[in-house]
Amino acid sequence: MMTRLKASWTHRSLMFLLMIYLLIPLLATGLYAFAKDWQTTVLPESWTLEWVGEMFQDLRFLDALWTSLYLCLISVALSLVVMLPAVFVITVYLPRWETFMKGLVVLPYAVPGVVAAVGLIRTYSSGPIDIAGTAYILIGAYFVVILPYMYQGIRNSLLTVSAVELLNAAELLGARRMRAFVTVILPNIWPGVIISTLLSFSVLFGEFVLTNMLVGGHIQTIQVYLYQRVGESGHLASAIAISYFVFILAMSTILMKLGRKINGEVR
Amino acid sequence: MNASYLELKGIRKMFGDTPVLNNVDLSIREGELVTLLGPSGCGKSTLLRCIAGLTELDGGRIMLGKQDLANLPPRSREVGMVFQSYALFPNLTVTENIEYGLKMRGVPKKERLRRCEELLALVDLEDKRGTYPQHLSGGQQQRVALARSLAVQPKVLLLDEPLSALDAKIRKNLRTEIREIQKRLMMTTIFVTHDQEEALTLSDRICIMNKGHIVQDGTPEALYSTPRTEFVARFMGSYNVLTRTDAIRLFGDGIGMAESFAIRPESVRLLSEMESASSIGGKRIVEGKIDSITILGNVIRYSVDAAGVLLTIDILNDGRSLRMEESGTIRLALDPSQLLQLEKEGA
Repeated sequence: MMTRLKASWTHRSLMFLLMIYLLIPLLATGLYAFAKDWQTTVLPESWTLEWVGEMFQDLRFLDALWTSLYLCLISVALSLVVMLPAVFVITVYLPRWETFMKGLVVLPYAVPGVVAAVGLIRTYSSGPIDIAGTAYILIGAYFVVILPYMYQGIRNSLLTVSAVELLNAAELLGARRMRAFVTVILPNIWPGVIISTLLSFSVLFGEFVLTNMLVGGHIQTIQVYLYQRVGESGHLASAIAISYFVFILAMSTILMKLGRKINGEVR
Repeated sequence: MNASYLELKGIRKMFGDTPVLNNVDLSIREGELVTLLGPSGCGKSTLLRCIAGLTELDGGRIMLGKQDLANLPPRSREVGMVFQSYALFPNLTVTENIEYGLKMRGVPKKERLRRCEELLALVDLEDKRGTYPQHLSGGQQQRVALARSLAVQPKVLLLDEPLSALDAKIRKNLRTEIREIQKRLMMTTIFVTHDQEEALTLSDRICIMNKGHIVQDGTPEALYSTPRTEFVARFMGSYNVLTRTDAIRLFGDGIGMAESFAIRPESVRLLSEMESASSIGGKRIVEGKIDSITILGNVIRYSVDAAGVLLTIDILNDGRSLRMEESGTIRLALDPSQLLQLEKEGA
């Protein structure tokens, strides 16, 4: 009993230290966003809502936030529509392709963002598909960025529920493949798929290098906007960063709750 | 009743370059329970999946009644299957699982529920109607799986090692239950297992498979008492398999022409010092040295070195058995009429 208590105490202090380590930059940013004078003291001398106010008065901020939101949503939705059936078919009917797919999905990790961006710009700035600087190239790139998360997430869900056996059982009971997929596969992999979608969304929402290089001059996403304002005022940039963080936090919480609810219905 | 109901002819299946099923012929009568018994990798599960249509054939024909199954998709074969891993739908309750097949066939709700109640009673799970599979024990899950496959009244029921994931006690109970249900419904059934005890207790007929062939088939009694090859002899029990030289050393000449022989461990008798050779006419007496003694519960298993041949001997542990010690000497009575001649593998 003693050792267990001791172990849990060490765990707690480790967790606590880790939390401090992770949260301090956020906290400092948060403080800075509301600070008026902060020169020679540990904590700011006076507070103000000026920066937050300025941010919300800047139409470009809300515009950028909205642009980011819909670009990410479109990319994730597109990925879901393409990857769900694709991964299902590969895992269930073409397991031989898995080795190939495993190699393919790590490629986005292997190619640095800058290299990928330059390559994409060169390829798509002329020729038959001239889409450099448009939202299309960004959505395309985003699709590739989240490929690993979507592939692994969907695949793991399928393997966890033994999709092949469930499908076999359903087919032997008289179900057509499509019906079997909808009635016994989809409801069981849904929780896992929701989690990968959520993860993909967060990844995209925080992605900067590709976004800035591909469409930085043309489309203002929240990332690009933040980058431009950093030089102008540290306080304003902090305010943007914090609201950006709060936005993602709210989004994640909603999706997590949703995932858990669906999960609860399955159990 | 004698005509075959399910008939497999020349079934062939390759995985890459390795043949998994090599010209398998099998015919099964209506209402019969046939067990496919063999070590893992012998092709028994593949054969089952071929009948179900889950694995494609490379050659051969499957006739069910008057219908050729080969080109039908699984859903049209009227074949039910129970998997080792149960494969219950986790998002559906027990009732919904059982009525799934009926629903896919467009049976009206009222009729579905009536049928469902019948099956719940059959597998004794009436109090678990609304439960989700993950809240059931392994044995209960497998009973739901059984009910689910019986709900659509298949012509043939395929059971793929249905009891292997369960613990010993539940396995024995469920095995009896499956046999009772099968007899009551007169359900033509193929049962795949690697457990010879399971096969012996519940089959009408056993097919022993090895390397993609059926090496011997027959009633449990016939298979146990007269294995034809060394493989069957070893697989069916703890037969002592003897080479010709060993057999001559123990039994003398005049034992037949075979290259290898088998003798059951329970057919060898250990003699007490008082018993004279004359009291056991017709048997050969051989001196031996006890190598090891193992108590298996109701049976004591001796390993005896007799004339340089290591024999396994089983004696009923009835309290009257002789007290013997390891490395003591002992006399054995061997009955030449119990010595079986074995055919060559693949002959």
